[in-house]
Amino acid sequence: MTPQNLLKSPLNTQKCTLGCPVLDRCLDGGIPCNSVTELVAESGSGKTQLCLQLSLMAQLPSSLGGLASSSLYIHTEFPFPIRRLHQLSTSFQHLHPQLYVHGDNPCDYVFVRSVYSADQLLDIMSKAEFFIANLKTRLPVRLVVIDSIAALFRSEFENTPCDLKRRSSLFFKLSGKLKALALRFNLAVVVTNQVVDMVEPNQGVNGVRVGNLRCLYSSGRRVCPALGLAWANCVNSRLFLSRYEEVDREENGGGKGQRDFLCKRTMRQLHVVFAPHLPYSSCEFVVTRDGVLGVNI
Amino acid sequence: MEVWKLPISATQKGKLISAGYTSISSLSSLPSSDLARDLNISDSEAQHILKIALQGCTRLDSSSGNHSVVNGAQNAWDMFHEEESLIRITTSCADLDKILGGGINCKEVTEIGGVPGIGKTQMGIQLAVNVQIPLDFGGLGGKAIYIDTEGSFMVERALQIAEACIEDMSEYSGFLCKDFQAGQVKLQPKDILENIYYFRICSYTEQIALVNYLEKFVSERKDVKVIIVDSVTFHFRQDFDYLALRTRILSGMALKLMKLAKMFNLAVVLLNQVTNKYTEGSFHLTLALGDSWSHSCTNRIILYWNGNERYAYIDKSPSLRSASAPYSVTERGIRNSASNCKRVKMMGTIT
Repeated sequence: MTPQNLLKSPLNTQKCTLGCPVLDRCLDGGIPCNSVTELVAESGSGKTQLCLQLSLMAQLPSSLGGLASSSLYIHTEFPFPIRRLHQLSTSFQHLHPQLYVHGDNPCDYVFVRSVYSADQLLDIMSKAEFFIANLKTRLPVRLVVIDSIAALFRSEFENTPCDLKRRSSLFFKLSGKLKALALRFNLAVVVTNQVVDMVEPNQGVNGVRVGNLRCLYSSGRRVCPALGLAWANCVNSRLFLSRYEEVDREENGGGKGQRDFLCKRTMRQLHVVFAPHLPYSSCEFVVTRDGVLGVNI
Repeated sequence: MEVWKLPISATQKGKLISAGYTSISSLSSLPSSDLARDLNISDSEAQHILKIALQGCTRLDSSSGNHSVVNGAQNAWDMFHEEESLIRITTSCADLDKILGGGINCKEVTEIGGVPGIGKTQMGIQLAVNVQIPLDFGGLGGKAIYIDTEGSFMVERALQIAEACIEDMSEYSGFLCKDFQAGQVKLQPKDILENIYYFRICSYTEQIALVNYLEKFVSERKDVKVIIVDSVTFHFRQDFDYLALRTRILSGMALKLMKLAKMFNLAVVLLNQVTNKYTEGSFHLTLALGDSWSHSCTNRIILYWNGNERYAYIDKSPSLRSASAPYSVTERGIRNSASNCKRVKMMGTIT
């Protein structure tokens, strides 16, 4: 065994752009390679949107902040949003026509695979290794997305000490495999996770503070990432997407009867919960037809 | 034995050395009146110094003739002195250094644990950088071995911390000698990165193999002064259905690391995760790897959140008392807690 020379590898870890300078600035360039990044959010916050966007952005050459790569998209929630991906890819191709001169399409470089159970996901890992190693397309795979990890693990296991132990052992096994894969092919790995509501404040072990934020709020409720502390140990960085409804007061013309006409806007924010290379930061973003965009305030 | 090792005051040592009395032998059979004249001190003070020097001499003689019971055995007095003269690795957080008695001890295994995002990896990188602070600046001037099992080590972050460390050193040397060229820091950020031997480990078998190999590796590179394992836990939390085996493997690994620490006079820092422990019907937080593992490390430091501040708590140590101190993780690395700085500043403005 010989130590790695830290100077030989590029001093800045290669990162995959999110496709928006504001978001990239928040994450110092994007999603890092050779690392597992977790996106935590309640449903409808934009996790999948961001993942779809990433799988397209990865195809950009490194001069534009991408990885010049294909992506492997493992999804566990059905159906796969193929129409949305297609919509995004059309506008992406429109923006970067020079990348697809051979008559190919951005969708050609997104490999989608569905998974139904935790054991199957583990099984897929070794197949994925073979697949990535032997892929013969123009762009090699450098981005792996698992959307979402929580769906698999939340349904299958009982809330008993024995099952929880088995579950956390699986977490570490899966994370070990993902990290080994990330190291071998210098992959950027993104996994998404759901949240659970916190019923009482500071309840038991879920009340343990993890990361930069004292507590996470989404849609006005206090939440915490699903899958518990064991899983939190399995990822390198954790990002949290929050949303809340803001009522536009200017629209409020009359008395109480006109409540129904209040104009509500969904505000979304991205927070760095923890990351080895980033301080705490956050920024607002919107989900538009063309994708996820950060908002400068 | 030299004069500076004598248990006398610093001014007396200074006077002795500047008058040319550098070794204890130079003080033997010297009349106290001569010494008083040379050092410009009172006769009684000179007699006091000579008495202590004489004691130092005889102690040296007796200790050198006395250690043949078991080969390599040391008596407690020698060990005490050796420990006194040991340089510790600073954490770059003065409050934390204070409760640690100056920093992370060499010859010992120190375990640092905490929840994700509390700053374990940051602490690891900081120590890998700080061990390289040259002797002139009160450091060890050593090199580091960084064993990364989780993939959280980021080169860009290490570079950032290294740059801040060098900046601090040059500022410090600027204070000491304003127009003295030799005091400049010769260390470059790239040198610091080059002096970190980085191993990326992907399975527990690799981890065991590497720990076994380290003895050979370190014996060829004697300037390695710290071994950091980030984290010792990760690969041992999977695939072990038979926990007795895990315990055996872990304690074997801990023994080997302990031996390395003693043999090569280096510090071993093991980072550990936290887990929920189920006792008496409720869950509470504890460091991972179980009860038997908790005996494997000399010192145990737990990092935790207290409100909005990060704290470090000495949970176990044979020589330090339990205490906690705030710290913060900044852009420049581990530093004193910001609110603490403010307090000091405020006191400064009042006085």
